[in-house]
Amino acid sequence: MAFEPKRPQKKLDYQELRLFTDEELKNYTEEEEKNFKIKHDIPELEQLESGPWPSFVADAKRYALRRRKLGQDNLLINQDVVEDLLGQVELSYVHGETHWKHGGIVGVIGYGGGVIGRYSDVPEQFPGVAHFHTIRVAQVPSKFYDTDFLRGLCDLWEYRGSGLLNMHGSTGDIILLGTFTDQLEPIFQELAQVLDVDLGGSGSNLRTPECCVGKARCQYALYDTQEMCYEMTMHYQDELHRPAFPYKFKFKFDGCPNGCVASIARADLSFIGTWRDDIRIDQDAVQGYINGEFPPGGGSHKGRDWGKFDIYEEVINRCPTGCMSLEGGKLVIDNANCTRCMHCINTMPRALKPGKDTGVSLLFGAKAPILEGAQMSVLVIPFMKAEPPYDNIKEIIDKTFEWWMEEGKNRERLGETIQRVGLQRFCDVLGVPPAPQMVKEPRSNPYIFWKEEDVPGGFKRDINDYRSRHAR
Amino acid sequence: MEELKKAIVEFCESGKTKTKFYFKDIEKAVKDKVPGAKTLQIKKACSALINEGVLIYYSTGSTTMYGLKGKGITEDH
Repeated sequence: MAFEPKRPQKKLDYQELRLFTDEELKNYTEEEEKNFKIKHDIPELEQLESGPWPSFVADAKRYALRRRKLGQDNLLINQDVVEDLLGQVELSYVHGETHWKHGGIVGVIGYGGGVIGRYSDVPEQFPGVAHFHTIRVAQVPSKFYDTDFLRGLCDLWEYRGSGLLNMHGSTGDIILLGTFTDQLEPIFQELAQVLDVDLGGSGSNLRTPECCVGKARCQYALYDTQEMCYEMTMHYQDELHRPAFPYKFKFKFDGCPNGCVASIARADLSFIGTWRDDIRIDQDAVQGYINGEFPPGGGSHKGRDWGKFDIYEEVINRCPTGCMSLEGGKLVIDNANCTRCMHCINTMPRALKPGKDTGVSLLFGAKAPILEGAQMSVLVIPFMKAEPPYDNIKEIIDKTFEWWMEEGKNRERLGETIQRVGLQRFCDVLGVPPAPQMVKEPRSNPYIFWKEEDVPGGFKRDINDYRSRHAR
Repeated sequence: MEELKKAIVEFCESGKTKTKFYFKDIEKAVKDKVPGAKTLQIKKACSALINEGVLIYYSTGSTTMYGLKGKGITEDH
């Protein structure tokens, strides 16, 4: 089924959006750049320019020159914002401590996320960064932009903000770095009404869902990651913009177990494409790889001579579950023991393809180390079909949200709640039977708490009867 | 809805030193006061109070709290 947007898509034309002329966009010479000094001394930062890699300091200085030449009349916030930023960062290097204050009452009307307040604690010294709020702009699925949008966005941000931005933040949003409070509402109006884009998530809400490049460019995509990401983004708008969760919550959509958006490491709910039938094998192509007719890995390691392809060394013996063998010259896979590591498919893409009965695995609870160590997501639902309108998946998401909002403590990620109350309880909530693979280690607690329904014939225990004989 | 809004405002006014509250704390207080109140209804009531300008969001970037406009930090600090 062809993708259908939920609302008409706007065609942008940069010539109508543009705020600066070509001359204003290229307004300094190489000579001027060479001789340019910002208004603060920044020896510590300039040391960073001496390394072998391009430095943000050099970029920022170049941009500071551009702003100075544009002049305050063409800009709505302090033209020296970048110079003051470098000055304050230098001071932080000297003092060995930050000079930012985070958080506060910033946002746009009706939204509880998308804007992160940041203020300088030395505003008299660096007035250009007295306010330096971050705005998160939701990326489109897989980050397919056209240049009219990007140029329009850059002009807007240069005019109303610092002009500094980050493509992209960890959650995938476009991060606009640094503006003043009075510019937030106008920027939001321009983003929404003119550039036709929404703010992303921040705070205790659903963060901007993110997906891999999916079927748009990848042969391995096992479901339409972009469509599912779009559908979930639109369906959970309230959760994205009006925070009421115990803490942040992230969805990420990987089209296959190669995991190009690393959902398993970063998302509270990771969707990873999978299949439930058998890996398709083209035995002639397997022979072709063995005979050296095709470069392994799609030619991705051609830069060096690795010797003759050895199917045992490079594929069969690398299988983490040892479910592959070569019998009578034919490749045999014990599919029931395949863990979807993708190594054999990646190495011999001509010969091996995922099965045709495709869907998603749902894994829960990844997070970065804040309270405890970093956690990877745990596989809870091995397979679900992933087809519009995704009602089967939304049902699981709704149950998860409802339970976590009830059980989760303030500032506790889903993975931490699961860790605290036990995966078994979470499985009960979702109505999913536990699997042996969920057992991480042999039990250390000698007590087994049976539930009445777990015991044939059940049992009765009247707490009032017990209390009649035993004081509390 | 009005009953929920009233309970939310009363809870936010009751803080002696605190002026910003987690949603979960608001939710618990409202459920104690209005038995049978559902989480989603409380969230909607909070959103309505935000839109009316009674409540404000307070965000650190990673987490979000609610507070009464005019109480504690309400403008740029």
